[in-house]
Amino acid sequence: MAYSDKVVDHYNNPRNVGTLDKGSQEVGTGLVGAPECGDVMRLQIRVNPETQVIEEAKFKTFGCGSAIASSSLATEWIKGRTVEDALAIKNTDIVKELSLPPVKIHCSVLAEDAIRAAIGDWKKKNGVAEAAPAATTAQ
Amino acid sequence: MLKIIDSAVPVACWSCAVANNESVLFCPHCSKIQPPPGGDYFSVFGLTPRLDLDLSELEHEFHRLSRKLHPDRFARAGENEKQWSLADTALLNDAYRTLKDPIHRTEYLLKLHGAAIGEEHSGKDRKDPSRVPADLLEEVFELNMQLEEMRMARKTGEEDAALQGSLEQARSKFVGLLDDVDEDLRGQWKIWDAGDAGARATAQKTMVALLDRRRYLSNLVRDVTETLGA
Repeated sequence: MAYSDKVVDHYNNPRNVGTLDKGSQEVGTGLVGAPECGDVMRLQIRVNPETQVIEEAKFKTFGCGSAIASSSLATEWIKGRTVEDALAIKNTDIVKELSLPPVKIHCSVLAEDAIRAAIGDWKKKNGVAEAAPAATTAQ
Repeated sequence: MLKIIDSAVPVACWSCAVANNESVLFCPHCSKIQPPPGGDYFSVFGLTPRLDLDLSELEHEFHRLSRKLHPDRFARAGENEKQWSLADTALLNDAYRTLKDPIHRTEYLLKLHGAAIGEEHSGKDRKDPSRVPADLLEEVFELNMQLEEMRMARKTGEEDAALQGSLEQARSKFVGLLDDVDEDLRGQWKIWDAGDAGARATAQKTMVALLDRRRYLSNLVRDVTETLGA
């Protein structure tokens, strides 16, 4: 299958690969999986407690090129946004940006799930009320 | 998209015009080859769809039909029959490959019955937390991290005996878990094969979850084996 140039770029030069301190109060961690293909993705955010801005985002994904590119792009997009703004990112935005083919749409869903799970975890840690249906996969 | 063609609708043989209800490669009346039938893979072999399948019977039918479809037998046949022998052979091979593999067979039959499996499921279904086992995810992720560490160590020429040992342990553990899943699947096969609609629906749900779990495990076993075997 041919990957788009943007996928190849993110795959070869993934942004923000790494780990944040899971135990920190300011860090939210989302670990999600795609049962379609067995991929796993961990996305972490460090949120400024004053401004609620995501100042740092890191990911680690074990999976195909599209899954890596989707999570790499997701970290780029959420950095600098407030938590609530980041929740506005939809998997369809990722599909569009990376020109993902239909069989790889679940990779973008995984990235959206990871954002929600990380934010959900951060909210839980910091006692922020959960906005209705978000972050169902947060652990 | 898979669908079951209503096999109760009789199809008339192109040669002898006798209608038959079965989905067959050869007319039961005049034995002439038929165009690829529209039924499911089981009907190609004249089998009732089931999960706990007699593989020796399947294999026997496969070889018998393969011989009957061999192109040499149609060297002097009409153009249609020649084409059909090729198309039927392709169908027979696809059907055999799918049905002889226990996982492919299970996925195929459950899809025929409307289960959302593999690439096809999305939307609300995937939000069902029972589909994503959290404890398994943690383990899969951790082991992947170790695998990566080991590959890195290899690159720089530093073999880590302790890491190697722990990966070998992990491999046997996950191979064991994979065996457990397969065992559970076989148990569900029997329930599905024997069950009424209600029992089938429950067994189907259980199997879809087992197949999800299996995908993580088999990826992991593949990757560990690749790294350790290198």
